[in-house]
Amino acid sequence: MRIGFLFSRGEVPLTRDVSARFLPWLIAFMVYLAGLALLAAVAMDRMAARWQGDLEGRLTVQVPPPSDPGDETARQERLDRVVQVLLDTAAVSQVEVLSRAQTATLLEPWLGEAAAAPELPVPDLVAVTLRSATAALEDLPERLATAVPGAAIDDHQRWLARLFALAGSIEALALLVVALVGIAAVATVIFVTRTGLAIHRQVIELLHVMGARDLYVAEQFQAHALRLGLAGGIGGAVAAAVTVLGISWLLRGEQSVVLPGVAFGWAQWSMLAILPLVTGLVAMLTARWTVLRTLAKLP
Amino acid sequence: MVETAWRPIPTFANRGRFLIRLEEVTLRYGEGPPVLRRVSCHLEPGSFHYLLGASGAGKSSLLKLLYLAQTPSQGRLSLFGRDVAQLTRRDRALLRRRIGVVFQDFRLIAHLSAFENVALPLRIAGEPDARIRSQVRELMDWVGLREALDALPPTLSGGQQQRVAIARAVIGRPSLLLADEPTGNVDDRIAMRLLYLFRELNRTGTTVMLATHNESLAARMPQPCLRLAEGQVREEPTEVAPPAAETVGG
Ligand SMILES: Nc1ncnc2c1ncn2[C@@H]1O[C@H](COP(=O)(O)OP(=O)(O)OP(=O)(O)O)[C@@H](O)[C@H]1O
Ligand SMILES: [Mg+2]
Repeated sequence: MRIGFLFSRGEVPLTRDVSARFLPWLIAFMVYLAGLALLAAVAMDRMAARWQGDLEGRLTVQVPPPSDPGDETARQERLDRVVQVLLDTAAVSQVEVLSRAQTATLLEPWLGEAAAAPELPVPDLVAVTLRSATAALEDLPERLATAVPGAAIDDHQRWLARLFALAGSIEALALLVVALVGIAAVATVIFVTRTGLAIHRQVIELLHVMGARDLYVAEQFQAHALRLGLAGGIGGAVAAAVTVLGISWLLRGEQSVVLPGVAFGWAQWSMLAILPLVTGLVAMLTARWTVLRTLAKLP
Repeated sequence: MVETAWRPIPTFANRGRFLIRLEEVTLRYGEGPPVLRRVSCHLEPGSFHYLLGASGAGKSSLLKLLYLAQTPSQGRLSLFGRDVAQLTRRDRALLRRRIGVVFQDFRLIAHLSAFENVALPLRIAGEPDARIRSQVRELMDWVGLREALDALPPTLSGGQQQRVAIARAVIGRPSLLLADEPTGNVDDRIAMRLLYLFRELNRTGTTVMLATHNESLAARMPQPCLRLAEGQVREEPTEVAPPAAETVGG
C-alpha cells in the first residue's frame, strides 16, 4: 500500500471536526480497559500457575486432634502412626510434620492471634511429597484411616480445579473485554467516519465531480483515522503501562500467597506495545471501508 | 473546427462523432414530475452554446447530467462517444477530469486559499507541484485575481469568488466546459471579459455550454442557443433574440 496519503494536504478539513478531539480519548480509554483486562488475565494466570507448581505432587494429611487437645503425648503418638503408614508407602518420597507454629501461621489470616492458642482443636498437618505427580496412592486413604480414625488426605485437586476454573473464566472474560473494546472501537470509527462524510458531503461530492477517484477521498479519511487511532492507542497503552508498573511497585517484595506478582513479561509488554498499532490500523481500515462503501453510492 | 449543431439524432448517426449525445433521456427527481422529458439531441466537439431557459426550467439539471452528478431516469447518455452507463467507475472518474464545471453556487472549499481551490483539478490529476504553481498563477493573473492568491473564499466578493470558480473549471484545459450562470455576480465589463475567456477556450478546442438567463449579455456575444422549456430542448441556431421583457435575473 502506498503511504503517500499520510502526508496528503487534505481538502476535507477533518482535523477541525469535533470527532478529531473526542475520538483519541475514546480509543485511549478503550485501550486502557484492554490493558487492565490483560493485567487481570496475567495476574490470574500467574496465581494459578504458582498454586499448581506448589501443589502438584504434594498432598496434605490431616490428623484430627486427640479428644483432649492439650494432650501432647497422645497427639505425638497419633502423628507417629500416620508418618509410619506414609513411609511404608512406595509413592511417598518425603514426609514433613508441620509444627504447631507453622500451622498457626497458615491459619493466622483467618483466626488472627488466637491461631496459636494450644487449647484450640486444630488438626495436625503432615505435608507429603510424592515421588511423581502421578504416583498411585493405592489404598493409602484406608490405611491412614485404620491407623488414626479420621485421618484424611487432602490432595488439593478439588481446590486446584476450582482455581483453574476461576482463572480460566477470568481469562475468558479478559478476552471478551478486549473483543468488546475492539468492536466498540470499530463502531466508533464507523460512526465518526460517517459523521465526517455527512459534514463534508459538499467537499466530497465536489472532489467526486472533479474526477477524484474514491481512493483519493478515502485516503484523506484513513490517514486521519490512523493518526487518531494511533494517538488514542498510544495514550491508552502508556496509561495502562503506568498502572501495571504502579501495581507491581506497590506489590514489590510482597510475595503473599493470595496475591501473586503482576509484573508483565515480555509477551505482555509486546502485546501492550502492539495495541496502539492495532487500534491505528483498525481505525484506518474501518474508515477506508466506510468511505469506499459510501462513495460507491454516488453515480 | 466542426460546425456547431444541436439537432435531432439522425437515425444512423455515428455515435463517436458527438461529444454529447442524449437519446430519449428523461430525468426526474424522486417521484416528482420529469424535469427533462425524452430529450434527444447531440452536440458536436468544438461547439459553443448558450443554454437558456426560465428559472426552474432545468438548466442546472441538464448540466448535472452532463457532468455525471446525476444519472438519467431513462434513456441513454453518451459523452466523448461512450455510453456513460457502460463505463467502469474508474473510467467515469477519468472522464470527469475532462469536464470543467462552473457551479451556480461556486462550491469553493472555504478553508482552502483561492490558489488551492484553483489548483484542485490539477492535484486530483496528480500534476507535479511546480507545474501547478506556474499554471495557477498565470491563470489567476488572467482573471485578475493576482492579489487574491492566498485569500480564503469567504473573504472574497461574490464576483471574485465567481472568477476563482471559473479559473478552477478551466485550469485543467477541459475538453468540455459546463458553466452554470457564470456571470451572475459580476458587472458587465467583467462578464464580457469572462465570455471572451470562454470563447478563447472554445477556439482552442474546448466545447462550451453556458447556462444563463441573462439573455442580454448573451446577445452581446452571439452564439447558438439551446432553450429549455417544459422538459424539452429546442435549438435556436442563429443569433440570440433581443432581450425579452420577461428575462429573469441578470
Ligand atoms: N436535487 C433536486 N431534488 C428535487 N428537485 C430538484 C432538485 N434539483 C432541481 N430540482 C427541481 O428541478 C427543476 C429544475 O431545476 P433546475 O435547478 O435544474 O432549474 P434551473 O433552470 O437551473 O433554474 P435556475 O435558473 O433558477 O438556476 C426545479 O423544479 C427544481 O425544483
Ligand atoms: Mg440553475
